[in-house]
Amino acid sequence: MVGARTAGADLTGRYLLVLNEDLVDDYDRARAAVQDLCGEEVTSTRDTPLPGPPAQATLFAELGVAVADLSAAQLAAARTDRRLLGVEPERVLRAIDGSLSEEYLRGFRDAAQFLHGQVAGAAAVTPAQFGDTAELTWGLQATGVADAPETGAGITVAVLDTGLDLGHPDFAGRDIEARSFVEGQTAQDVQGHGTHVTGTACGALAPAGGRRYGIAHEARILVGKVLGDDGSGTDADILAGISWAISAGARVISMSLGADVREVSTAYEAAGRRALAAGSLIVAAAGNNARRRAGNPGFVGVPANSPSIMAVGAVDTALAIADFSAASSTVDGGQVDIAGPGVDVFSSWPRPRSTNTISGTSMATPHVAGIAALWSQRTGATGQQLWAQLVQAAQRLPLPASDVGSGLVRAPGA
Amino acid sequence: MHQKVTISVADDAIDRIDEVVAALESGGLHVEQVLRPIGVITGTVEGQQVQALGGVSGVSAVEPQCTVQLPPPDSDVQ
Repeated sequence: MVGARTAGADLTGRYLLVLNEDLVDDYDRARAAVQDLCGEEVTSTRDTPLPGPPAQATLFAELGVAVADLSAAQLAAARTDRRLLGVEPERVLRAIDGSLSEEYLRGFRDAAQFLHGQVAGAAAVTPAQFGDTAELTWGLQATGVADAPETGAGITVAVLDTGLDLGHPDFAGRDIEARSFVEGQTAQDVQGHGTHVTGTACGALAPAGGRRYGIAHEARILVGKVLGDDGSGTDADILAGISWAISAGARVISMSLGADVREVSTAYEAAGRRALAAGSLIVAAAGNNARRRAGNPGFVGVPANSPSIMAVGAVDTALAIADFSAASSTVDGGQVDIAGPGVDVFSSWPRPRSTNTISGTSMATPHVAGIAALWSQRTGATGQQLWAQLVQAAQRLPLPASDVGSGLVRAPGA
Repeated sequence: MHQKVTISVADDAIDRIDEVVAALESGGLHVEQVLRPIGVITGTVEGQQVQALGGVSGVSAVEPQCTVQLPPPDSDVQ
């Protein structure tokens, strides 16, 4: 993770432009793209004879990386350019010598303090402590969503839950397709859960009532009501919802639901596997059956325990594991894959209340779904590849992988 | 006693899912949904006929349907 380093001496003032995969294999387009973004002639490692010291933008054709001087306007444009995977400041790297940097010593101090805290058995270390601000929920801060230029535009996100308050002002003007799989009920949410999780995954950039809580604010939303107004749903309705979401082109399917059953369901695993093959990633709540303070770590239930469905655990504002967040079980697929903010999560709620703050792995799951949409928008990745990007980009936490998988979900560019 | 079941179709039988559906129907399954994108069939069957459905060619699993239940909307943990 790139920290907020201010030491100007570490940076050259130039930028690395990392080209998208499809450009790496297409030299002419790659060169044209770099020239376009930098507004100047490009030298390339394919030029003969090889250029001297780079006075202008240089394309390392084999790596798909260019180094260039960028104005503030060019930098801003490059950050949102779909032809690039990323833009980052070029650093000066030094061999480690006798003089230890302040940063290195700070890292050493933190690690020593952490170990001391563990041995002393006390909370001697106070790690990150997030809180909602007037602009942003803590979860969007902790996952770097505000720093990502992606919006979810062009990506379809399905949320399978209790429906959505379709008249909620925070969703006005959005591209929404709603369908109910519950007999005798419309997709309108009266329970609240569905409106809350949809808000986190896809809510507005600037909601009327205050701070931003939504991630993929320009995504197309598929609202699949698979849980009734009483909060209950059957496998048949949930599987029908998954099937519909795949057919309707969902890149991401968010399911904040589950049952406390250890054994993997063949039907959900088949659904997860076939969804991935069709380019749809299913993320599901690990479950809230832990009571950690009482010594019970719980276990990941159906359907999150399917190997082909991403299981999401919950962390709190200190990035500690939530008391209720289920741990990995020993069944094949029963592991927690990733974690999201899941304690004191502020989001939308059916009118007239309009907002609510609640906790659960249900709240962590749509953080992962929304951020998955941002990644898919940036890289074009789908299915298994999108899964890999999410776990690769996750921020590692000083917690057991059996609780948080690869760590805290992280937005692109953050 | 009627039982609600989900039936997973094997990978090598997805292309002939209609044949699998027909075989399940003659085996006593009242088909409710054929979910082609995920290769899953849902329906109801008389309790004593459940086991036989597992032996139908192209079926990889027959499972009883479960229900999920959210906590009440006013609970702190959801």
